[in-house]
Amino acid sequence: MLRYKSLLSNLARRDFLVRYKQAFAGIVWALVKPLVSILVFGYIASKINSSESTARNFLYVASAMLLWQLFANVFNEVSNSIVGNANLFSKVYFPKIIIPLSTLLVCLVDFLISLLILIALFIVAGEPVHWQMVMAPLFILLTLINGFGIGLYFATVNVKYRDVKFVVPVLVQFGMYLSPVIFPTSYYLERLPSWLHWVFCLNPMVGAIDGFKYCLFGGEAIGNPQAFALSVAVSFLFLFIGIRYFFKFERSFVDYI
Amino acid sequence: MSKEPIIEVRDLSKHYVLNRHAGPKSDTLYGSVLGAVKGLRQLGRARETEEFWALKDVSFSVQRGDRVGVIGRNGAGKSTLLKILSRITPPTSGHIQYSGRMASLLEVGTGFHGDLSGRENIYLNGSILGMNKQEIDKKFDEIVAFSEVERFLDTPVKRYSSGMYVRLAFSVAAHLDPEILIVDEVLAVGDAAFQKKCLGKMNEVSKSEGRTILFVSHNMQAIQKLCNKGLYLNKGRMHSYGDIDDIVGHYLQSGEASQAEFTLPLPETESFGYAHTVFIEDLQGRPLVEIPVGDDWRARILFRILKPTPHFIVGFGIVSLFEQPIRTSWSAPEDFQPGDYEIIFENTDLMLTTGVYTVVIGLSSEQKTFQYVDKTVSLSISDAGDTSHNKRIVNTQSGLILNPMPVSLRKL
Repeated sequence: MLRYKSLLSNLARRDFLVRYKQAFAGIVWALVKPLVSILVFGYIASKINSSESTARNFLYVASAMLLWQLFANVFNEVSNSIVGNANLFSKVYFPKIIIPLSTLLVCLVDFLISLLILIALFIVAGEPVHWQMVMAPLFILLTLINGFGIGLYFATVNVKYRDVKFVVPVLVQFGMYLSPVIFPTSYYLERLPSWLHWVFCLNPMVGAIDGFKYCLFGGEAIGNPQAFALSVAVSFLFLFIGIRYFFKFERSFVDYI
Repeated sequence: MSKEPIIEVRDLSKHYVLNRHAGPKSDTLYGSVLGAVKGLRQLGRARETEEFWALKDVSFSVQRGDRVGVIGRNGAGKSTLLKILSRITPPTSGHIQYSGRMASLLEVGTGFHGDLSGRENIYLNGSILGMNKQEIDKKFDEIVAFSEVERFLDTPVKRYSSGMYVRLAFSVAAHLDPEILIVDEVLAVGDAAFQKKCLGKMNEVSKSEGRTILFVSHNMQAIQKLCNKGLYLNKGRMHSYGDIDDIVGHYLQSGEASQAEFTLPLPETESFGYAHTVFIEDLQGRPLVEIPVGDDWRARILFRILKPTPHFIVGFGIVSLFEQPIRTSWSAPEDFQPGDYEIIFENTDLMLTTGVYTVVIGLSSEQKTFQYVDKTVSLSISDAGDTSHNKRIVNTQSGLILNPMPVSLRKL
């Protein structure tokens, strides 16, 4: 695996370079999409959820939205990574997992750039620094795990059934409304009948987003701990399924593409 | 040196299943659900599948330092064998044992990205071929020098000429340092001088550094020069394996070394009709397995029309092995009724230099192409010794197109 380290970094470099070549504003574009979503949904949230201040609403939406977009990017890009790079592994042998991994790296770099927005918002709103913030990377990692696990599963299915590329954007769009992105988990739980609570928490992004907010806002805003634990367990289950499924069919990808 | 083989191949087979059932395509989720439902209703009726052994029971062993040329006509299983040996696709059954680091070169410039500069592509392509950063750093200058593109190193390769592109791509590959090198017909690209340089480089590394090479080519001369052993495949089976001169001899005597008649793959979806056979022949209709350089030739295409086809056009193109279209011609649009037809494209004016070219054939109705065939039909233009009968050709190395320009010269 170590032998393929430079392949991994070169593929990630390629994707990154190619995206912003010939774009006059270059890397600034990585900031535009999250910024627009934050403005739109932050505005909506502050109109509807009057129990929090406007600034808080915006900060909640910004932190959840960035994490969600990380998940959505990883999920979408990993799902398409194998089919999109078929020209490589139909001509050269290397462990195919390198391709989704390099995709993951690119998404992470994009996310780190977009974190600048969040930092700026925190400074503007005068949000205090909490010690819990040091744990935030754990939930970024959890988000990567979510996107990667589910993405690998879809990447494998995509090799044979190209419908996947139409399904994924739909799932991402719906998923956002079923995750605590615009409103906090408590907002959903209060409005859902109690028997639906655990269904809501089967969504692996519930745990990641709640945990991330918990860290950023110093122990506030987490839903209930059981729901959180269930959601995190689902994350790892999906990762396990995704990886197993990928490696089971990896060898025969070339014959189907 | 040990007598232990560096590659040991035993009973290698590869089997493909071709689905030829009329009905929803099964490569979309929707299609396969639909297919399953239909299948339930047709339970008991045999499904139309065709089995196809791309390779069957191939066994051989390669000693360290051997240079093995793999020969056989199109569809004999050469590419499948190389793909299995390079671990790109798994065999259906059989074993392979290696005892050395292996790299394969089935295409030059795998992963090259047009928007990246030459320098960036050297690193990208190098790492795809299995080199790490230190190795590429170490050989960087050598690679650049060999490719002769120093001045354009920081230009995106999409602005390169096709020749520069191939030279850069091959240069990276030529500096790979594996113990076993698997090479498909990549040398066929590039201009003659560069091909010669590449062959020289391969010769040098294999002979002086004792590298093991597996090499596929249709160029018997190149194979005999480079290889010491030959593996002759015929319809997926091993015909013979041994000393290169014997094997090339078998192959040439079998008369299948080249072909003048090509069967086209049938289109997957049903439509107005399809072209099925192409003959390459001289103007009198005699088959030409090799076209003497400068001579006239024609392509005769047989096609079948299944239902009335409005505004029907047949297109025929010649493409260089580096996928550069050279010329394309079209029939005049006409409405066609069902039946069998023949169309002839004559080449009487263009003289192409020696080499292998591929043919593109397209059938369309009302501007919509319903059959497109490429890389199935090849033209082999050869310098069959004597070109003196053709006064117009001075030198086959002078360019892709050998037709001279009108020249006028006078004293002022």
